[in-house]
Amino acid sequence: MAGVITVNLPVFLIILPLVAAFILPTIGRRQRLQENLLLVVGSLGILGAGYLAYLVMDGGISSVYQMGGWPAPWGIELQVDGLAAFFLLVITFVLFPVFLFSRGNLAEEVGGREKTARFYVLILLLGGALAGMALTNDLFNVYVLVEVATISCVGLVSSRNHPLSAEAAFRYLILATFGSALILGGIGFIYIITGHLNMGFAAQELAQVWQYRPHVVWMALIFLLTGFGIKAALFPLHLWLPDAHSIAPTPASALLSGLAVKGYLICLFKFFYRVAGPFLLQELAIDKIMKWAGLLGIVLASLMAIRQDELKRRLAFSTVAQIGYLFLGASLLNTRGLAGTFFYLASHAVIKAALFLSAGTMLAATGKEKVSQLAGIGRKMPVTTAVFTIASLGLVGVPLFSGFVGKWYLLLGALDGGDFLSALVIIGGSVLCAAYLFPVVRLAYFEPAEIEEAEDPGIPQKIALVFLAVLVVLLGVMPGTVLDLAGRAALDLLTP
Amino acid sequence: MTSLILALMSALVGVLLIVLIPGENKKLRNSIVFLSVLLALVFSWRTGLLVFAGKSIGLKVELGRFVWSLRPDPLGVVFGLIASTLWLFTGVYSFGYMDNKEKQGSYYVFFLLALCVTLGVAFAGNLVTLYLFYEFLSFATYPLVIHERSPEAMKSGKKYILYSLSGAGLLLVAIVLTHHLAGNLAFGAGPILEGLSGPGLNWLLLLFVLGFGVKAAVMPLHHWLPSAMVAPTPVSALLHAVAVVYSGAYGIVRVVYSVFGRELAGELVFSKIFLYVIVFTILAGIIVAIRQDHLKRRLAYQTISHLSYILLGAFTLTPWGLAGAVFHMISYSTLKITLFFCAGIISELTGKSSISKMKGIGRGLPGTMVLFATGTLGMIGILPLNTFWGKYYLMKGSVAGGMWPLALVLIISGILNGVCFIPFIIKAFSGEKNQPAGKTGKRGYREYALFIPPLVLTIAAISMGLLPGMVWPAVQAVVDWFF
Amino acid sequence: MRILLEKLLINYPFFFAIILFVMGAFTVLTRSNLFKKLIGINIMEGGIFLFFVAAGNIKGGAVPILVENNPGMTYINPLTSALMLTGIVVSVSVTAFALALIIRLYKIYGTVDARRIAEMRKEVKERWQE
Repeated sequence: MAGVITVNLPVFLIILPLVAAFILPTIGRRQRLQENLLLVVGSLGILGAGYLAYLVMDGGISSVYQMGGWPAPWGIELQVDGLAAFFLLVITFVLFPVFLFSRGNLAEEVGGREKTARFYVLILLLGGALAGMALTNDLFNVYVLVEVATISCVGLVSSRNHPLSAEAAFRYLILATFGSALILGGIGFIYIITGHLNMGFAAQELAQVWQYRPHVVWMALIFLLTGFGIKAALFPLHLWLPDAHSIAPTPASALLSGLAVKGYLICLFKFFYRVAGPFLLQELAIDKIMKWAGLLGIVLASLMAIRQDELKRRLAFSTVAQIGYLFLGASLLNTRGLAGTFFYLASHAVIKAALFLSAGTMLAATGKEKVSQLAGIGRKMPVTTAVFTIASLGLVGVPLFSGFVGKWYLLLGALDGGDFLSALVIIGGSVLCAAYLFPVVRLAYFEPAEIEEAEDPGIPQKIALVFLAVLVVLLGVMPGTVLDLAGRAALDLLTP
Repeated sequence: MTSLILALMSALVGVLLIVLIPGENKKLRNSIVFLSVLLALVFSWRTGLLVFAGKSIGLKVELGRFVWSLRPDPLGVVFGLIASTLWLFTGVYSFGYMDNKEKQGSYYVFFLLALCVTLGVAFAGNLVTLYLFYEFLSFATYPLVIHERSPEAMKSGKKYILYSLSGAGLLLVAIVLTHHLAGNLAFGAGPILEGLSGPGLNWLLLLFVLGFGVKAAVMPLHHWLPSAMVAPTPVSALLHAVAVVYSGAYGIVRVVYSVFGRELAGELVFSKIFLYVIVFTILAGIIVAIRQDHLKRRLAYQTISHLSYILLGAFTLTPWGLAGAVFHMISYSTLKITLFFCAGIISELTGKSSISKMKGIGRGLPGTMVLFATGTLGMIGILPLNTFWGKYYLMKGSVAGGMWPLALVLIISGILNGVCFIPFIIKAFSGEKNQPAGKTGKRGYREYALFIPPLVLTIAAISMGLLPGMVWPAVQAVVDWFF
Repeated sequence: MRILLEKLLINYPFFFAIILFVMGAFTVLTRSNLFKKLIGINIMEGGIFLFFVAAGNIKGGAVPILVENNPGMTYINPLTSALMLTGIVVSVSVTAFALALIIRLYKIYGTVDARRIAEMRKEVKERWQE
């Protein structure tokens, strides 16, 4: 029995949330049961991902899993390597607190207790799709998963009971589907010249064939970059994100900013590093494009974040800026840089989730939306504000918090490549980040209270918030294991 | 080793205790503050004496790829002892100054927190730990800067954090670059970048100097300091005349000697360029000071000028220069704090903060003005004050390093310091008695708390001036460590 | 130049696929009517589907149903058509979702013009907050 589970663990991790998603509508009436089911799924997810990571690092699991037993090129393969294990851990560790958190006032945000079931279904579908994105090794499978994720994300955005949510969701849907078409086009180009859908085989074929068809390869990579760039909010393709992520219900914002955009980024990594390879990226100057888009994103999005008065919009622009960091790291093409990028990805996922959840709590408790209206909230909601502060310190990159470790390795990676400008922008981004996050902390703690009544949320939400804050600190103080895993992920990605 | 930890912990424990007890019980809180600072002082001195005796104590923790270490060496110990000693005096002064002010709880919490973090900066054993405490120092002192919560204070606080974080950011790039080049970040016997050379290292030194230079108020990165004078006077006195600014100056000295090393630093063209910046800061600082009407701002610019004395000594790269720098660190701090304390007494007891309105104030506050005058003599750098020795060795170091014009700069600076304050002192004692409002000659707890610290410090400064042998072993230890 | 024209003529399905794609993209980006944007998306995806299906075509190949007695027969590539079936399904779901959103938008704003919706944003928000 244990053997069956171990061998099929990768698939189980994908199927688990999907099965739960199908079961959930049948228990639509009973909210407690839904929430408990989510918690079960979340816990199993963490256990499964943890065990998988252990197996991968230990070597106890084969790195290739064939769906249905069909070998490639007939069947779809799952690549069970460091990258998959790493991202699965990130997904499950962020999903669990979000599940816990949604026991709060979700019903109000989505417009009624009957609608929470649909919300949970969408989250579970998103979770399943992300897990699939972590594992998949097949070009078209990526497209399918990307679509599942996109539709779930748009659904989550539209689930809020607010007139602006339909507009944000529609714009998101149109732009995202535009991106999907581009992605499919890119996949088509690669398929045409390599004749393979399996990433490994396609990579081998591409290495031989690209010199005869450099333009096709270039088009494919650009299409993929643009398509995934729209979904991962790469500057300047991010225009849908501020509206979408700020209007979504709070748990959804946390997942969208924390996980969803990262999932698309991981897929792009797979295409760029596994199929095309660092050599091609450099030849075709794709890495330069990623780097400059990243640099511009960091600076411009951070500047725009400073100008936002609505807290959730500020956090949404912050996401665009941090994605810039990830693209910058992705362009580094060396192991240390990539490992730093992965660590930063994990760190940002946890931090952004913590920021959105705590911000959402503060906004819901006070009924306000703007930063300037949140004065003095530190005393009324100590736990929530403390979590927000810890997450802010983490994002800025203060030592002892996770962001510092990520920035350290990104800096090392940048300097490894002799890239001084990127190093300066990385630091400049931190200062700008402080400029848009610290005023909130300052207002919360050091200004007299204008809020009449606000109090900390209930136990489940508090646990979720504290869980995330503790993760931020743990990743900052004891990043060893996660760093190793990130390094392994980078290595697995760079070496075919 | 335990003394080391206890020194930092006593401040932290104090913070926790204050946070826990209710706000109204002032006596209890003040006693806790006093005890914490006293314990921190005792343990710092124990640590310091051990280090001077040649023992090497340290604490190293490896957490996930980063090595955090506390390893005081003579230079760090000098800084730490200055900090912890002066913290005690400032604590007592605060009891007096803050007696009738609001938000004392918040004040003392961050007061103690800043002590703990400053000791961390002083005792740090490698660049990463130094960076950690350096960043936290900005955060710990920010609430003290904005204490008044006035619009001016908030603006000044924003400037403060912006400058500090930018500097810290550049510092991080410099540290990562050092790690990239040398793989090792610990302050050991030999400089970290030993054996390396090349023009690129100029940029590295520039980055370090920019990073630490913000806190060391090197021009043109000094703008935050005069604005920060909006903070309560004990904060201005301790932090922005000693603790925070010294962490910047200490950082630069540390970089020159422990990271680059004497020889490498001497080879780099940037060291020479930076000497011009130092000279500019020394002269421009004091000249701008002369033009200030607000007393605390005048003192702030004087601070900016004097901090660069320390940097000058460091960059002469001679043992006498370093000795002068260390001497100046010790002596200048005692007197500058005294000057600020006097300014605080004046503003508290007479309500005046502009020099133009302070005519005849010496008649009403004779003791205070005498102390102020003594402090000014110290700023000029003449016997019997201890600053004389600092200047002496700085000049000797300049000549020995082949940079005799620097000695000239120091002399000119001394004269300008005189121009800065002697007219004020004369004005203060002339004219009619400018009776301070409400001062009826009654000496209460508050007046004692305000007056005794500067008095004791002045006496100490004079003693050190007459008997420099008191301080000499410490200076010797530092110089021996690096040369 | 002649070679280019020749190649274009041989590969005409791909040529048209690209044209469809570009037309669709243009429609999405420039038309302000929400329905037209949606139609543009569909045209874009149509172009992609055509691209893939044409990619699988082999000149002279037979329909890909296995014929027992002729082992050496060339069949066209069924893989791409199968993939595009999935793609069409996805496209249909997205279209359905988008239509639902358009209906909801119409209920709130009373118009399906993207520009007017953007103008009315503020009023709608304020009205809702009361």
